[in-house]
Amino acid sequence: MKTIFFTGKGGVGKSTLSSAVAWQLMEAGNRVLLVSFDPAHNLGDIFHMKLSHRKKRFKKTNLFLQETNLEQAANDYIEANMSLLNEVYSYMKPFNMDNYFNVLKYSPGVEEYAAITAMEKLFREEQENYDYIVIDTPPTGLTLRILALPRITVAWIDRLIKLRKQILEKRYTIHKITGKYSEKGTKLAYEEKDDTVMRKLNDMRERYDAVQLKLEGDENSVCIVFNPDYLSLRESQRLMDGVEELNLPLRVAYHNKLKDPESEVAQKVEHELLNGRSGVKVEHVYTIDHTEPTCYIMDTDLIQSL
Amino acid sequence: MHGGKEGVIARIFRYLRFFFSVMDISHRSKVVEVTEFEVKELENLFVLLMMGSFTGVPSPPSFVAAELLPHLDHEIKVLNERAKDSFDSLSDMASLLDID
Repeated sequence: MKTIFFTGKGGVGKSTLSSAVAWQLMEAGNRVLLVSFDPAHNLGDIFHMKLSHRKKRFKKTNLFLQETNLEQAANDYIEANMSLLNEVYSYMKPFNMDNYFNVLKYSPGVEEYAAITAMEKLFREEQENYDYIVIDTPPTGLTLRILALPRITVAWIDRLIKLRKQILEKRYTIHKITGKYSEKGTKLAYEEKDDTVMRKLNDMRERYDAVQLKLEGDENSVCIVFNPDYLSLRESQRLMDGVEELNLPLRVAYHNKLKDPESEVAQKVEHELLNGRSGVKVEHVYTIDHTEPTCYIMDTDLIQSL
Repeated sequence: MHGGKEGVIARIFRYLRFFFSVMDISHRSKVVEVTEFEVKELENLFVLLMMGSFTGVPSPPSFVAAELLPHLDHEIKVLNERAKDSFDSLSDMASLLDID
């Protein structure tokens, strides 16, 4: 299974191009899932279908469509954590104190955690079912934060594992010298295989490592969409720097909404953006008439560079 | 006579063994004392990191903490004890280093 991320400034044509690419991949004989993570979904408008977080088949083809509702994902994520909290603090129920946990909804970062959890689940569950998963991402800032999350998490987990190892080593020493490790009757683990915390940490590490490997691997492509104007150039440069810093494979840059590739602005933008980035291929995409009901069908071959 | 002489040597060995075993235990307990203190500090640190957002230090992603906290009851107890004794840490240190 290959994954393709479409990133870019708002309004450059991420959704249109990801739809077109998904369509062309399907036409080439692949089973394709097109997922939108953008809170302002427009996949439904492009394909003239009412979409939800459940996959829908597009007109008996091998193209499947899904709109992941980030808010819903965040709510699910919070619900799962709330039930854990409510279990632990069940004694608060008589005082109606459990409602106070509701403020968790507004804690920073929840949307990103929800997105990465949804993405991890998607990769894990759909691995066998599709040849390609095409992902239409939210605007730049949020996308970069979501894509950075697995790496940050793994870095944190590594530090915690190191600290936990030190604790267990010291406990082991004490056990070796004084016999069974016990403290006021509670038997504490002194070996890594017995320690629940260590097991949990290793589990988590494996999970996020898998996502990170998937994102960095050969099977993944990050595509950037830009327009021939300076505003989109500046944001695309920042985005490309961010993607490179995260060690993600940036493969194709789609120069979208082109009218005249010979024009001074178009050439300058393209030159500045790809300066020193020899690994990125450029594809020219000419202005598409959005009033056309099937705007995902294009003459340009968009998948040759993927 | 022969047997009595051997008995004396055996007794000497027994006393020596006892002497060394007492020394051994006292040394062992001394070593463990310091290590135990270290473990407590590390456990304290571990759970403090989990609750970083309460203490104002950078903390791991909250879902990492949320998954681990239910298994850290011992560490939380240690954290509480340390917090209770925190204003008496000098005497803690003094007793650890055998200063009267």
